Amino acid sequence: MINEPVVKAPLNWLVGGLLLGLVQILAVAVHKPLGVSTQFAVVDSVAIHKAAPEYADSHPLIGKAEYRRAGYGFWLDVGLIFGAAVAAASVRMLKARTTTVWWRANHGRSPAARLSVCFVAGFLILMGARLAHGCTSGTFASGWAQLSLSALPFTLAMFGFGMAAARITYPKTPEIGR
Amino acid sequence: MTSGLTGFLIGTAFGASLLLSGLADPDKILGALRLKDFHAIRTIAVFVLVSMVGVWVLDLAGLANFSIKPATIWTVLAGGALLGVGFGMSGYCPGTGLACAAAGRIDALVSVVGMFAGALAFILVHPYVVGPLEATADFGKTTLPEITTSSSTLWVVPIAAIGAVVLWMTRPRKGKPIDQASSPREP
Repeated sequence: MINEPVVKAPLNWLVGGLLLGLVQILAVAVHKPLGVSTQFAVVDSVAIHKAAPEYADSHPLIGKAEYRRAGYGFWLDVGLIFGAAVAAASVRMLKARTTTVWWRANHGRSPAARLSVCFVAGFLILMGARLAHGCTSGTFASGWAQLSLSALPFTLAMFGFGMAAARITYPKTPEIGR
Repeated sequence: MTSGLTGFLIGTAFGASLLLSGLADPDKILGALRLKDFHAIRTIAVFVLVSMVGVWVLDLAGLANFSIKPATIWTVLAGGALLGVGFGMSGYCPGTGLACAAAGRIDALVSVVGMFAGALAFILVHPYVVGPLEATADFGKTTLPEITTSSSTLWVVPIAAIGAVVLWMTRPRKGKPIDQASSPREP
């Protein structure tokens, strides 16, 4: 449909991977391994504690102390947003966009379908991440860094279903920028 | 330093690294899941191998702060499958969704709204569904070395060595289209 290439990443794979690895090592040295998704439930939980305190206090999950206030993990996610925005600005990648190259190559320019798919995808992603006690950061990346048993079934399920969903959603391949 | 400030600083480094490495780019993730663009696969492989070796060294020095997730096999498999479907549909995951929203991607922001809805649904169904599922096939907060009664050295050294050799042998080179995305731009 639309002929445009996927652009290169700012860093090559070796430098980018090394940088991420060093951040993980630093995180394990100073506090605990990286994790992102718990805080979505914590933010929801803090709101529920305000709206329905009796329900929240008796809940087996959000009744726990770590679901009652913003701590280390919450500020990590705030930092993540800040760091990504600063990095994007520094490499001139800070700009409003609604669709992606792979999306336009398969489904054209209309943003409505892309936004609907992304809402549903986000719902499934966090539902799945909480079931698995973590996401691509906590259960996959931090899981393998610590050789956790749970990383193994999680990786198989995530990449297996991820590849299948990608094949169904994006059958056509755009040009990959050199 | 307070733990909130520590978290903010590590998060800043993580968010910047996700963006600069190209993992916070749904086009790079889709290319990887479709096995058409090997940039993200190689980046993730280096990320995992470097952190595995680094955490192993920290542990030998007695400096590692571990946080092992419980291996509740059914919920981990179901969760991985649900997350995988969303990942393959959008090219986002929780960390890269936040990073991409911060970079101005409106679709990522909508996926983040979906994530808050997913977390709310999880909280609401937790007492009825998740508790019982977690109680079956629960191996606890265990590691691969523990469950095989071996040492982490016996896992880390071979995995890191094999991974490094494979990454070296398949490295992108000029004129060889093995990793088109990482080779230099043709004139």
